[in-house]
Amino acid sequence: MSLYKKRDAAFPLYEISLSGATDHELQDVSANMGIGLSLDEIKSARNYFKSMGRNPTDIELQALGQAWSEHCCYKSSKPILKEFVFGIDAPQNILAISEDAGVVEFDEEHAYVIALESHNHPSAVEPYGGAATGIGGIIRDVVCMGAQPIALVDPLFFGRLDTPQEDVPKGIKHPGYLFSGVVSGIRDYGNRIGIPTMAGMVYFDDDYLGNCLVNVGCIGIMEKKHLIHSSVKKPGDIYVLVGGRTGRDGIHGVTFASAELTESSEESSRGAVQIGDPITKEPLMHACLEVNERGLLNGMKDLGGGGLSCVVGEMALAGGYGAEVYLDHVPLKEGELAPWEIWVSESQERFMLAVDESNLDEVLYIFRRWDIDATVIGKCIPEKILRIFYEDEMIFEIELEFLTNGPVYRRECEIAETLSPAESIDGMLSEPDDYNEILLSLLSSQNICSREWVIRQYDHEVRASTIIKPLQGKLGYSSHGDATVVKPLRNSYRGLAITCDVNPSYMRIDPFWGAASALDEICRNLVSVGGRPHSLADCLNFGNPEKADRLGVLHEACRGLGFVAKKLGIPFISGNVSLYNETALGSIPGTPVVLGIGIVNDVRECVTTDLKKAGSSLYLVGCTSCELGGSEYLRLLNRLDSGAVPRVDPDALDRSMKALLSAINDSVLLECHDVSEGGTGVCLAEMSLGGDMGVMVDIGSIAGSLRSDVKLFSESNTRWIIEVDTEREGDLKSLLSASKVDFCKLGVTSNDGRIRVSDGSRMLVDVSLKDARYAWERTIYNLIG
Amino acid sequence: MKVKDIRVCVLRLEGTNCEEETAYSFRQLGADAEIIHLKQLTGDVREDEKRSLGDYQCLMIPGGFSSGDYVRAGAIWAARVKSAIGGDLIEFIEDGYPVGGICNGFQVLVELGVLPGLGGTMAAEPEIALTINDSDRFECRPTLLEHENTCVFTGSIPVGMISLMPSAHAEGKLTLPLGEEDKYLGKLIDNNQIVFRYVDPDGEYSGYPWNPNGSIYNIAGICNPEGNVFGMMPHPERAYERLMLPDWTRNTGSSNAEEYADGRLYFASVLDYVCSKF
Repeated sequence: MSLYKKRDAAFPLYEISLSGATDHELQDVSANMGIGLSLDEIKSARNYFKSMGRNPTDIELQALGQAWSEHCCYKSSKPILKEFVFGIDAPQNILAISEDAGVVEFDEEHAYVIALESHNHPSAVEPYGGAATGIGGIIRDVVCMGAQPIALVDPLFFGRLDTPQEDVPKGIKHPGYLFSGVVSGIRDYGNRIGIPTMAGMVYFDDDYLGNCLVNVGCIGIMEKKHLIHSSVKKPGDIYVLVGGRTGRDGIHGVTFASAELTESSEESSRGAVQIGDPITKEPLMHACLEVNERGLLNGMKDLGGGGLSCVVGEMALAGGYGAEVYLDHVPLKEGELAPWEIWVSESQERFMLAVDESNLDEVLYIFRRWDIDATVIGKCIPEKILRIFYEDEMIFEIELEFLTNGPVYRRECEIAETLSPAESIDGMLSEPDDYNEILLSLLSSQNICSREWVIRQYDHEVRASTIIKPLQGKLGYSSHGDATVVKPLRNSYRGLAITCDVNPSYMRIDPFWGAASALDEICRNLVSVGGRPHSLADCLNFGNPEKADRLGVLHEACRGLGFVAKKLGIPFISGNVSLYNETALGSIPGTPVVLGIGIVNDVRECVTTDLKKAGSSLYLVGCTSCELGGSEYLRLLNRLDSGAVPRVDPDALDRSMKALLSAINDSVLLECHDVSEGGTGVCLAEMSLGGDMGVMVDIGSIAGSLRSDVKLFSESNTRWIIEVDTEREGDLKSLLSASKVDFCKLGVTSNDGRIRVSDGSRMLVDVSLKDARYAWERTIYNLIG
Repeated sequence: MKVKDIRVCVLRLEGTNCEEETAYSFRQLGADAEIIHLKQLTGDVREDEKRSLGDYQCLMIPGGFSSGDYVRAGAIWAARVKSAIGGDLIEFIEDGYPVGGICNGFQVLVELGVLPGLGGTMAAEPEIALTINDSDRFECRPTLLEHENTCVFTGSIPVGMISLMPSAHAEGKLTLPLGEEDKYLGKLIDNNQIVFRYVDPDGEYSGYPWNPNGSIYNIAGICNPEGNVFGMMPHPERAYERLMLPDWTRNTGSSNAEEYADGRLYFASVLDYVCSKF
């Protein structure tokens, strides 16, 4: 006998006889309906409906599948996040972790808002649409707090671009196709909606071949008094659904995101990818901000993962009430959607407003003026129950606390042993003969080469508030910056520095120090432009948490993030967890992407990474050790998994940051660039390329008895190379000494168009800027076209 | 007129996205710039929100992706403007009021047939086109413009001066009717309609990337023969202040460094024009 019984109604609705079902049948129900509930979870649903004296409807089970997915309730990651990452107290926090985006104080009257999340699985199946809707979703997260979006951020991770097609497994798309599709999707959505894409990273590694990562972040600005919550205020509040129509696109997005990708994901899950429409979103964003600023709203929340099924209940419960919904009122893109499909559809460009009846007409008028659909679909009721009606028939009745109280698991967690740092690499590899060749190869390598192909496709200066741009330097010669700076307010010189980072090669070897290194680099990047690290968002991309070793990686990564952030007192204000990033090829390396925001007191003091003036002096700030594990140098030599990764001393980081910020504040620095992938060698080359200016450097002054290749290519943390006018050298040295920061003089800038590096009397590198530029500039163009 | 009495209509529609910074630039100079939705001019709004083109002394069409630019850039918006307020616009132009289009706004003016304006104030069909960049990609990059002929938006810019203003577009390649390029180009030159041309840092008319789109004759902006309708691809509103420039951190030498950049002259020129003419 079938467990599914169609109810006698004019629309498709089934009741599912869970009460007498065997375990096997219960698992079949979960699989057939695509709701992703485990046996225990579906049993707990059965018990609930038993106590109600009836069987559930399809829409009720679908709603539980959404609400209890990893994506919505963080059932595997929550205990770990609570232990290490959440709860860093700081005076600037206004709203941390609890809603769609974090809210942080900007100045007395204003707050900034940040959000960061993943759109990995949709982008792996449909890169253009997946990435575009990722941008759409993250903008909604910021707008629904009441903030005007001012910047977008996009960290991306793919397989190697030169992967031979025959090495790409069945059912998986070539990294080159994914990369250009994702960039086009971000470009077309971000550019059209008119929010500058200002920062990001692109990383290529074989371990992302099966499962690329597309993370998206957004920063917004608002007057503090306009902060609005994702909550109803009181019974009688009217639910108004605004924006795009609801269709069959994006069904089961959250359950898709909470399972591993398989060979058949393309076919089975294509419908989970939504379709974005920036030209609906652009006026929608304005209309939502207008009704909020005019004080016409009691609450606002965006429709993201889980669609209506998540937003209605969460808003009601956040206010301490319940809701009833008239589902047949929801405007549809197409007819003939079953009620459950309407309820879980993740169609894009939608917000839910909670409106007091007295403001309803004005709200509806404003949306009409912007040519945006706005429809009353329900109201808030006093009891904490969610009821749904379809053509006056009740098809759903569940207590909200049961619905939204998803399970939390303390899953088994296995932490792998990691290597201790090596003192030297003498036994491991021999010193290279030709340093010129090594440097040029590093400059042209996929993880170091110019990102201009990506950056110039994004409108990174629409809104005319991008003060420090992603490409920095002399006109026609720019190089990468460490961070960008946006000036959010027209009448204030206060700015926000933006950067994001993680190094997956470190993560693969040592998730604790890898995550700690990500935070170190975030701080370095922000300080490089003159930003004081102020808040963080994390997007934790990991493998299947049901496998103990994968969860161990997540555990260690969170411990690493917390270790540095807590010491420095920088709060994680917002975040997202994306698990199940694995395929038959295995798991991705744990990838805790961190978005860092810094406060710039006066943007007129900002510095960039390009060399400014011939004859000025170059200093290396920080200590260099033999820390080559996961470095791009070892990748070049095919020894990527050897060696120990860089460690972090948060106290030294804190001292160095303060000293450099004070130097920037006093206009002592002409240039500042952090040392990261490719070590001091690549750092010097990038500075030279941006300024179109040569350098003459002697690394013999770097302390310790290190081999020349270690001094040049080790990726030790907490280091910068700075340029200082000879007249200010004295000021610089006394400042760094007084701050107990290690430093050494490397050399001078020159007008001869060459990058020259020696170790004492031994010449290591002597290449022309022209050759360096040629190596650095062309790689992506050559691989993608 | 006095600047404070000048009302500027910055017209918007779904998908325009440079209206705030464009209006800001005018307001900084003291003019009363209002961001107006096309529906406010067609009357499809509440009484208190209705506006008429005649209320303004300057019309600006800002950058963006009006209606998504899903067909030829600017075409949908142009069709809507033409059918809704085409007559008013012709009158506005013939009265000598300035009409400016930046980026997508330039595309709209071309699609409207008011640029280059060789066959009257508003041609029935577009006479020229702004087509897809030679690189086949959206390009956001600094560009240098040599000022060659003066129109009402460039009166304060010396002829020959090179300005730094960024470009950010996918469809900016000025293209003349096939086979008649020389004829059209000759007319544009003879009429002094070529206002800005792309040059490289040495002031030469060079190719990509300094000509970011492959535009014929390195044309970056043109006006109508009367000089009161002007469209350009680069963004003066993104070069209003020195801090908006891509390389300002290289030029911090003098302590009283100029606060403004070249784009400001665009806005100042047209306000000067309106002050003196009306």
